Amino acid sequence: MNERVAKSPQVTPANLTLKHPELGTGPVPARPYWDPAWYARELEAIFKRAWLCMGRVEQAKSPGDFFMKKLPTFDLSVLVVRGKDGELRAFHNVCKHRGNHVELREAGHCLGFTCPFHGWTYGLDGKLAAVPDEKGFHELDKKKLGLTQLPLEIWEGFVFINLNLKPHQTLKEFLGEHGADLEGYVFHRGTAIFEYEGVINTNWKCMVDSFCETYHVPVLHRHSIKDTLAGPDNPHGRLIDIRLKGPHRTQSVWGNMNYTPNPVQGLAFQYAPGPSVTSGVVDEHSVLPKGLNETRAPNWSIDVTAFFPNWIIVMGSGMYFTHQMWPLAANKVVWQMRGYLRPATNAAQRFGQENSMVELRDAVLEDCNTLERIQASLDQGLINEFIYHDHELALRHQYHVVKQWVEDYERSKST
Amino acid sequence: MPARKTSALLPTAFSGLSDLVEGWALADSTARLEKRLTTPVAEIRAFYDRMLPCAAEALAYLAERQLGALTPQEEALLKLMLSLAEMGPAIEWYGTGAYPDAFDARRFPLVVTLPDNEAQGVAA
Repeated sequence: MNERVAKSPQVTPANLTLKHPELGTGPVPARPYWDPAWYARELEAIFKRAWLCMGRVEQAKSPGDFFMKKLPTFDLSVLVVRGKDGELRAFHNVCKHRGNHVELREAGHCLGFTCPFHGWTYGLDGKLAAVPDEKGFHELDKKKLGLTQLPLEIWEGFVFINLNLKPHQTLKEFLGEHGADLEGYVFHRGTAIFEYEGVINTNWKCMVDSFCETYHVPVLHRHSIKDTLAGPDNPHGRLIDIRLKGPHRTQSVWGNMNYTPNPVQGLAFQYAPGPSVTSGVVDEHSVLPKGLNETRAPNWSIDVTAFFPNWIIVMGSGMYFTHQMWPLAANKVVWQMRGYLRPATNAAQRFGQENSMVELRDAVLEDCNTLERIQASLDQGLINEFIYHDHELALRHQYHVVKQWVEDYERSKST
Repeated sequence: MPARKTSALLPTAFSGLSDLVEGWALADSTARLEKRLTTPVAEIRAFYDRMLPCAAEALAYLAERQLGALTPQEEALLKLMLSLAEMGPAIEWYGTGAYPDAFDARRFPLVVTLPDNEAQGVAA
């Protein structure tokens, strides 16, 4: 009798795709991953209509606090401001006079916004408050010349906006079950924040996919996280589970609970301000919501929830981080990775935090040359279709959701 | 030659690491990455081998102290440990300093950094 096998947690069979017959099992066309014409349709149907995450409520805590979020896809800058009434509002950062940005700082505190071009001044509520030499204008209805306000809604402390001034769904409807099932996670405790940003020569959907399957972990990440998220009991990086609800998808990622950390890494785990992903520990602050490790698997490490279209949250029991992808072209994307660690309560925990920042960066950068090579192959017309493993179901799902959003939108316009 | 002013660079218990301060107690996370990318792996390994035997004791020492209230010597010790955090994967994961198919990490810089030595408050 083989005791080791008997005690090993079972890996999930390759039957996930069959639970979603509407997604099929065949190859997926590669055109949407390189075609500029298709990309233009995605911008209209998806990025101008979906709810987009701008940041956290803590970035503008008090009346007069504001932060700016750049949307590289549209070369836009959105101002998120807390008004005197305590409400958060979002505005296009565009002066109604000649179109200059009214605020140039990335964050701060102010009584209002004064355009640095001619000095038009707006209140925290976006209303046009003052125009220098107002008498010099022939017709000026200040009431109609406030900053353009964008729909803003909040989910679990995350601030979302919609570029469509009349969104076809509320944020709650858009996030659906996926959002509801994650409510209660300790997002607000991750106050020690860092962020990396870069431009990768890849289609935005390939960048999303990069974090949505672990089939590649034992091979591509063989020097780094192979033994953490895969390991001898799960040699091919099978997922625990994958859940598809509406346009969003979550995968629960297997963790090797017998993982022996390297020396420096082990010290970092010991002094991390929250439990590490392979500790198997859920600390007293982390009552896991229903949607996190939904099957309550004991060998769980992280959940990766990809909120459509461009925002991924990777959640462990002690820290979380997000990826956001802002396409610049069919083959180019701005990628932002933001870590939310528990605050250090002593100087040694700063070392644990640094290890998280470094190992996370090192591991994700292992994917990037591969992504750029794939894009070159796509751009050269050398790949006509993608063939997906059962546990690459999230990639298949993304393809279908994108196609459905584009087609549904175009149909609604033509009727 | 004028006599050089001497003052302790590190807390007394860690004075044996003082010669590492000049090269390895660096400004911030970005400077530590740059150090890793521009230092021969043999030199990184030598640093790692010097630091590792003292690391548990250094962390126990730092665990008794608060960010934002460190003496210059304590801050230098923390910064050596933060360099060890940056160099750790170079030795423990890659052995060769960088991932064999390394993407240039300078293309993915920190745009929001965590300060080395500032009080971080308490989570809500």
